Amino acid sequence: MKKSKKVSYAITVRNLSKSFKLPTDKSWGLKQAILNRIKGIKGYKKQEVLKNLNFKVKKGEFLGIVGRNGSGKSTLLKILSEIYVPDKGTIKVNGTLVPFIELGVGFNPELTGKENIYLNGAMLGFSNSEMDKMYDDIVEFAELEPFMHQKLKNYSSGMQVRLAFSIAIRARGDILILDEVLAVGDAAFQEKCNEYFRNLKGNQTVIIVTHDMENVRRFCDRAILLEDGKIIEDGKPDKVADAYLKLF
Amino acid sequence: MKVLNRKNRILLTELTKTDFKLRYQGSILGYLWAIIRPLLMFGILYLVFAKFLRFGAEIPHYPVYLLIGTVLWNFFTECTSQGIQSLIIRSDLMRKISFPKWIIVLSATATALINLGINLVVVIIFSLLSGVSISWTWLLVPLLILELYLLSFGLALFLGSINVKFRDIQSIWEVLIQALFYAIPIIYPLPMVIQYSDFAAKILMLNPIAQVIQDVRFALITPETITGWEILPHLAKNIPLALVFIILLIGILVFKKKSKYFAEEI
Repeated sequence: MKKSKKVSYAITVRNLSKSFKLPTDKSWGLKQAILNRIKGIKGYKKQEVLKNLNFKVKKGEFLGIVGRNGSGKSTLLKILSEIYVPDKGTIKVNGTLVPFIELGVGFNPELTGKENIYLNGAMLGFSNSEMDKMYDDIVEFAELEPFMHQKLKNYSSGMQVRLAFSIAIRARGDILILDEVLAVGDAAFQEKCNEYFRNLKGNQTVIIVTHDMENVRRFCDRAILLEDGKIIEDGKPDKVADAYLKLF
Repeated sequence: MKVLNRKNRILLTELTKTDFKLRYQGSILGYLWAIIRPLLMFGILYLVFAKFLRFGAEIPHYPVYLLIGTVLWNFFTECTSQGIQSLIIRSDLMRKISFPKWIIVLSATATALINLGINLVVVIIFSLLSGVSISWTWLLVPLLILELYLLSFGLALFLGSINVKFRDIQSIWEVLIQALFYAIPIIYPLPMVIQYSDFAAKILMLNPIAQVIQDVRFALITPETITGWEILPHLAKNIPLALVFIILLIGILVFKKKSKYFAEEI
């Protein structure tokens, strides 16, 4: 009984802390480095970005992470995606994870749209033959069929984002991590994304960072409010969205 | 976890393919440059050193001797400088997705390996044309190339991981590699050094790159080639190979320690 309950969590975060060493203005150059060493100045400032976070994400849950700029949301996503290593604490991820952080995961402007899809797929761990099966689906969702044999540098920025986003959601991963992407594309594409998220409910684990409280209320099953690296609210989307709006 | 598991293999092939595709993009001659470049460099060296300065008159098949030297040297410089820069070039990837970082260095050096393969075909054609006879010692060449590759890979891992934070490494390496070129009997033949000073020749031959180049010449072109094995005293014969493994080990250890923080520091 206990065991099956454990498996139903997609992500378990325990006592997670992260800090960055930010170089101060007096830390660059060889002369300054030697002077600092002699005077015993560290040359950097330690900034704690995440402070002892604890939370779990259930399988199939749609979790929203909200908070002010600089509250640690993106750092948290990067740690969940194993891009950054935590200072303290543990993260357990159950299943394959597809991160979509900033725009265009590893897109290369000199390659064609099609080549980029396969490269991107490889980054996520999908072989060429697996990508063959997903390819049509991705292109169809992105609505970029006529452009697939053109170099990416000739795409508009909106088109690039559409392609990247389509790969992220069509690549069949267990956990999808999205950073501020609901505002991509034009109105028509946004509507399409919204519909996709509405239909998703319960079938895939999604973690999303957003500033749009409308989206939090509409799509999320649960939300977390980060403030100054700490979780100050965790629960129903409505409650968390209200708490977020009260911050300002 | 296996080092070359399915996921890593997929990524390695895809990155290598991309590297190779992009290398010559936008040039009319395309992949042909992989052959033309070393041939042109060889042509210049041949004119200057073999024709004008009359180096290597006493060495049989000196032009091929010179060619294989430059081809191996080009491989070494390409491997290390591409390997060092690769982490910076792919910084974008590292900031957006998690994967084993050494694959970046491996794919950059694999591209150099492919180029070397193409160049070796040219070398072999040249050798046969100039009358070098096929010998069983040719079988040793792949092993020697493996040794040179391991050295380059180890250096690329070590220097590349420091270069992430201190970009000076890139520039320092460019200068260092120029100096190193003259410290290896590539354009001048080893007997010339021995004439001046036997001791200097021995010191030169402690360098694994020099050892590999002389050994390949020995195995591929003529057994008259003087190798490190021939002139170094007993235990010192093993120093070049030992250096390769020490550098590779240091490279792996330093890379392993630093690569965790590449995404933050880059």
